[in-house]
Amino acid sequence: MIIATPKQLEQLAAEYKKTADKHKKMVIVCCGTGCLANGAQKIVDAFEECLSRRKVKDFTVEAVKKTGCHGFCEQGPLVVIEPQGTFYTKVKPKDIESIIEKSIENDEVIEKFLFTNPKDGRKIEKYPDVPFFSHQHRIALRNLGKIAPFDIKEYIAVDGYEALAKVLTTMTPDQVIDEITKSELRGRGGGGFSAGKKWRTCRNVPSDVHYVICNGDEGDPGAFMDRSIMEGDPHSVLEGMMICAFAVGAKQGYIYVRDEYPLAVIHLQKAIADCEKHGLLGDKILGTDFSFSIRIARGAGAFVCGESSALMRSVAGEVGEPRAKYIHSVVKGLYDQPTVLNNVETFVNVPVIINHGADWFREIGVPKNSGTKVFSLVGKVRNTGLIEVAMGTTMREIIYDIGGGIIDGRPFKGVQTGGPSGGCLPESKLDLPVDFDSLTEAGSMMGSGGMIVMDDKTCMVDVARYFLQFLVSESCGKCVPCREGLYQLHKLTIKICEGNGTEDDIEKMEKLSQQIVVGSLCGLGKSGPNPLLSTIKYYRDEYLAHIRDKKCPAGVCRNLITYRVIPELCTGCLACITACAYHAITGQKKEPHVINQELCEKCGACVAVCKHDAIEVS
Amino acid sequence: MITVTINGKLVRAKEGEMLLAVLRREKIDIPALCHHEAVEPYGACRLCMVEITKKEWDGWKNMVTSCLYPVADGLIIQTHTTDLIELRKTILDLYLARCPNTPEIQDLAAQYGVTQTSFEEVAEPNDCILCGLCTRICDRMGFGAISAINRGHGREIAPPLKNAPPDCVGCLACALNCPTNYIKYSDIGHTREIWGRKFELLRDVRTGQSTITREFAEYLSKHRNIPQDYFELNDESHRKETALSLGKIAIWSREESQ
Amino acid sequence: MIMVLQDIQREYRYLPCEALLQTAQALDVKLSKVFSVATFYNAFSLNPKGEKVVRICVGTACHIRGAALIKEQIEHHLGIKAGQTTEDMKFSIEVVACVGACAMAPVVIVNDKYHGGVSVSSATRLVKN
Repeated sequence: MIIATPKQLEQLAAEYKKTADKHKKMVIVCCGTGCLANGAQKIVDAFEECLSRRKVKDFTVEAVKKTGCHGFCEQGPLVVIEPQGTFYTKVKPKDIESIIEKSIENDEVIEKFLFTNPKDGRKIEKYPDVPFFSHQHRIALRNLGKIAPFDIKEYIAVDGYEALAKVLTTMTPDQVIDEITKSELRGRGGGGFSAGKKWRTCRNVPSDVHYVICNGDEGDPGAFMDRSIMEGDPHSVLEGMMICAFAVGAKQGYIYVRDEYPLAVIHLQKAIADCEKHGLLGDKILGTDFSFSIRIARGAGAFVCGESSALMRSVAGEVGEPRAKYIHSVVKGLYDQPTVLNNVETFVNVPVIINHGADWFREIGVPKNSGTKVFSLVGKVRNTGLIEVAMGTTMREIIYDIGGGIIDGRPFKGVQTGGPSGGCLPESKLDLPVDFDSLTEAGSMMGSGGMIVMDDKTCMVDVARYFLQFLVSESCGKCVPCREGLYQLHKLTIKICEGNGTEDDIEKMEKLSQQIVVGSLCGLGKSGPNPLLSTIKYYRDEYLAHIRDKKCPAGVCRNLITYRVIPELCTGCLACITACAYHAITGQKKEPHVINQELCEKCGACVAVCKHDAIEVS
Repeated sequence: MITVTINGKLVRAKEGEMLLAVLRREKIDIPALCHHEAVEPYGACRLCMVEITKKEWDGWKNMVTSCLYPVADGLIIQTHTTDLIELRKTILDLYLARCPNTPEIQDLAAQYGVTQTSFEEVAEPNDCILCGLCTRICDRMGFGAISAINRGHGREIAPPLKNAPPDCVGCLACALNCPTNYIKYSDIGHTREIWGRKFELLRDVRTGQSTITREFAEYLSKHRNIPQDYFELNDESHRKETALSLGKIAIWSREESQ
Repeated sequence: MIMVLQDIQREYRYLPCEALLQTAQALDVKLSKVFSVATFYNAFSLNPKGEKVVRICVGTACHIRGAALIKEQIEHHLGIKAGQTTEDMKFSIEVVACVGACAMAPVVIVNDKYHGGVSVSSATRLVKN
């Protein structure tokens, strides 16, 4: 059914809102990847099965909604009962029967599923009161956890495509660009470049052909913001792209989705197909002269393809080798045509800015860093998951108030931001406001929003080594500083982790890093040394401990640690002997076990399975 | 025509031409291992990097690969600052780690005072510097028989599936332009062998010297309108023929004018 | 070209040589270019994969939560290293850079099924059957 005019869209929105409201109660089951991995589909199945057996007054299986990621992955599977907002965590299929009986047929709250605030031990009933959510300001994630992603009706019911209608009927392309520029929206993929400026430059290139590409590659390990948005609210991505296409004069758009996100591809494809059916993509959209189509281009497993020129080569079916950008891709991009490339999160902010205005957007955040940012808070933090906060929120608030602090109450050691292009920030930087400029000043960068929290059991030299290994395997191999330089840096960090480092090595790495930064062709190489340089800057003592004392204070680097069974605590349960892949532990049942140091590979499997804390690492 | 400043000297150039061409014209010695006039610039070796600035940039400088940078009016260029020398030294040092026994790299590195790599040498070094010239020249010739495969440090130049390349015609453009003579070929009797593939070598009907492979000759006949029998003589014989003809014409025209 | 190769990879679980030749012909591109693309991207494999492909995520979040140990355990139990396939073609091990399930670190994917919060003992169970 084609939506031929904006008026029709308005009418449909009103109609769909009424349908959505007709349910007295609704059950929302989080079906983001994390919860799905934890069995969310089984929860949905259990609801369907239960409801087919029992007739519940005013409640049918249609009121059970599968939504995208709520963000609180640590506590999944999640079930929310609306409109009360009752928030149930760690739900299992066998619990569904009692949830239906108590919370749906009646209005009882089942205490044992409620989230317990670790700060004061109190149970929290409603979803907006949970600190994880109450500190957030959800703009990009506005619909995640609220609408079913594969139903265009739900998107329209929450004012979806209203911004597009407004743009097409009441604004000129230049006015759109003015508004986006005024909002000071900066690229959320990590570059932080003014979106408005980019659009303006692209529009001004005289060409019959312009392209709009959405970067859904999300190569930073530890980041899953874009994934959740593409899976949980695909229409918001499309709407943002459409508005951009109108502004720059593009008729064709692409969404480049990482190969490792097959579900995102499926959800986006459905959204595109639905838009085409409703005439929101194709020719003469909403009865205007604007025509636009979107195709999905899949990545094939290359981090370097997150870089704009490599990405465009990949869309064109070639090897993802970046090129020198003395002529920017916004001028000569895909197939040498002017192309706007923006991140998923950037596009998702566009409809909101159009609807609420640039001034409204600028009031959120801090000067020159307006709006919010989505972060994936992962690592050794209690509440791992996806969060969105206003720019300028401090690291401390994010990690402690939202994240709930470090697991097991261990000491905080550092937080890595910006992925392999970013750096590690120590405790002294916890009160840093999180925004583009402050992070770059401190030696890290915002990046796409990955925040990896580390405790005292993380070795920072090992972290540097890990990032260099990643970059070496992802380097395209075209230019010498990156291909050879990062390889040599990696070798040097291995040397230090193995206890063979010398004091000169640190200086050598710093000098080589400098040249890699200057000489590399693209961002991968240019920012590659960042993790190494930031860990040397803030954790120099740890490097020196590895070099001078041949010790790894965190107990990670295998050559520098020994595993020993504490005979007094060992119960002789044989668990470690079974777990040891190298047959290095011997011992009889009920007798203290012994680790043979010659065979021990220091892998840590024994510690992982020992329930009696009887193995000491020194 | 525009004006740029190179190492303090005013130089005229054509707007949009690549900086390296201007530098070369001014006889400024900048190494550029992955560069060849016959193909598009690549920007892989990074040795040709220079420092640029403009008056209106208020002191902000940029380092760019001159092979890929189009000149503009008022550009101010420095080619041998301490930073640039340091960068070239490091790049050559890294090259030596990959190709420690390659004379061309050793010589170039020695020019910058690097006699030995300060890094870890690769396990089994060869002479390939991964400049990609062979693949780009092969593409330009129209054959695209070889390409760069794998990614990152494991990158190599190889024929598809590492077997005899089906698109190769044995023209030797790759081998003859390789800066380090890494690509080996052999001409023995009527057989040329390169990249693991054997070709039939046509020989000059008069002198017996090798001319060209049958495959290349067929390609040229088909695509460049050259008659097949042209290849019965090699270049030297053709030149002799032409010289004799020109000589005959000279004698005839002298006779005519007398 | 990438999408064509992806479809082939999905169908056969690897890229047979004949497929590369056919792709070059069908798309009218040089075989060397197809081979470059096939060897550049992680998604493609030139060797046949096992019935069950065990993908171990070694992204940062998973690394911090002990992915290296999980990888070692799985490698030990199957007797092969990452990138290899067992003799009986039942299992292949691959490492993946990040699958975007970071809050569930460490993550192991067996064919298309995600397993989060994998521990030493559960890793063994994953590859026992």
